[in-house]
Amino acid sequence: MEKNNTKTIIKIDHASRFYTVGDITVKALNDVSLEIKEGEFTSIMGPSGSGKSTLMNLIGCLDSPSDGNIYIDDQPTFNMDETELAFLRNSKVGFIFQQFNLLSKLTALENVTTPLLYAGIKKKERVERAKAALEKVGLGDRIYHRPNEMSGGQKQRVAIARAIVTNPSIILADEPTGALDSTTGEQIMELFWQLHSEGRTIIFVTHDRNLGYQCLRQVHIKDGHLEDEK
Amino acid sequence: MIIENTKLAFKALVGSKLRTVLSLLGIVIGVASVVTILTLGQSIQTNITDSISSAGPDLITFSPFDSGEEADIFTEEYSTFMASLDDRIETVMAMDNSSTTVRVGQESESANVYGVPSTYDDNLALTFASGEFFALSDSITSRQVVVLGTNVAEELFPTGNAVGNTVMLNRNGQGKSYTVVGVLEDKDAIFSLNFDDSVFIPYSTYQARLNNSPNVGSYIIKVADENYTLDVSDNVEAYYDDLIGEDYFRIMSPTTMAEMATSVTSTLSSFLAAIAAISLLVGGIGIMNIMLVSVSERTKEIGIRKALGAAPAVIRGQFICESLVITLIGGVIGVLIGLAASYGFSVSMGTSFVISTFSIVISMGFSMIIGLFFGWYPALKASQLDPIDALNYE
Repeated sequence: MEKNNTKTIIKIDHASRFYTVGDITVKALNDVSLEIKEGEFTSIMGPSGSGKSTLMNLIGCLDSPSDGNIYIDDQPTFNMDETELAFLRNSKVGFIFQQFNLLSKLTALENVTTPLLYAGIKKKERVERAKAALEKVGLGDRIYHRPNEMSGGQKQRVAIARAIVTNPSIILADEPTGALDSTTGEQIMELFWQLHSEGRTIIFVTHDRNLGYQCLRQVHIKDGHLEDEK
Repeated sequence: MIIENTKLAFKALVGSKLRTVLSLLGIVIGVASVVTILTLGQSIQTNITDSISSAGPDLITFSPFDSGEEADIFTEEYSTFMASLDDRIETVMAMDNSSTTVRVGQESESANVYGVPSTYDDNLALTFASGEFFALSDSITSRQVVVLGTNVAEELFPTGNAVGNTVMLNRNGQGKSYTVVGVLEDKDAIFSLNFDDSVFIPYSTYQARLNNSPNVGSYIIKVADENYTLDVSDNVEAYYDDLIGEDYFRIMSPTTMAEMATSVTSTLSSFLAAIAAISLLVGGIGIMNIMLVSVSERTKEIGIRKALGAAPAVIRGQFICESLVITLIGGVIGVLIGLAASYGFSVSMGTSFVISTFSIVISMGFSMIIGLFFGWYPALKASQLDPIDALNYE
């Protein structure tokens, strides 16, 4: 299993997230603690409404906890403002979504350079790094294609290239094979294993038990609480 | 970032062409009308100034009213004193005029008859189609000689043999015959003084034959240099305000009239430009509308960009850049159309065409400000979208 001296990338310290709708307070996430170390391939599993998405949003710095704290690469996100969260997302997190979420008017290359643009990297380097990332996911020959000219698997590869191009601390994948047929899904899973073998930290959010149990570590969430790890 | 934003803006605008064109239209119309109005205003002013310089910019006309107090002092001899009022005055000419009929045989023509000194033609730079102006000796001896304006000569002497012939000038039903000594070339009118429809006789003759009183109709004050005109005019006016009161005389000169006309046109064109600017404002509201639609349509895109690490300021910049690009393009097209339209107007009105840099700068600047102002709120709205909600938006 994991070595003890490995660096902790994500530390969730008694974090809660409450939403207030009218007079009712919904506890989407209640006192959750979790540590994820560098290089781990973890799945977060749970039915819909379990708080899975809330946990993912917190880890992805799209949101900050109402109580407790979350440390991403040692940086506490509690009380961070939008701009600080955006910066953290840009530098630490690579998102991969079920519906790919590519920018439809941009080419594959432009999609992949976008996070680098927000990181303030110069154009020449942006293009070089994006091309390298696209090569890596096997799309070196499709860099000028737009999303509507690509298959689902190709789109997801572009999204993966976009997620790794900034060299993030975490790759956060939300049901990445959910919109793909099983063969293509397996190819994408292979790509994830390749990324894992390169030492990247991967968090795989899914409700699919078969997929979840493929990962090296499983975290189960239900009703806003973590269940004991198996 | 700015370059990338501009590229993105162009992409987004090209992506929805019809909408872009419609929102451009408002700005184009606004800018074009501001530019047209200001450019036309400037052209008209330039034309006024030009026509003044051809109409004797160094002349001031002073006319006492008969009913005025001390009206009796205004005699021919008084012009010598008037010339001493300001040392920049070169000369003062007494003159008078009335309407009359000029007759040759059975042909008659109504005309204004002017009694003027023999130096009149030099001072007003008159030119002759034939013959010449009457001489000083004609004035001294009050001879019955006449110089005809071009229209009068053409009507009465269609064959062009006016000089040397006689015409009858009527006064109170009595005709006196005058020998034609010269015919003027056509010349632009100075105010009511329409040279082409007038005839000119020596002042002394006018006094003796046509006038019942020794009083002078008006004085023409010629200053040494046209730059002095306004100043001298003011001095003379002030002097007679004190002496006889402002209600008892009238003083005017092409230069003072030009100043008045210029200030009237500039006020008028500023006023019209302000109205045109309102259409620019309306165009701006159109842009705001379009940008708001665009923001809500692109909620998903905004969510994705935020997930990829775009800070609120970056999203704001992207949308402001878009509305600035619209107003900038609209501004450039508007300026071009405005210049073309005012060129067309100038040509059809026969005035000269002057490009008003001021109008271009101000309308471009104003449309950019409108882009900023009306782009700000939609951009702010875009930047404040919750990233999670925006990402999940379908």
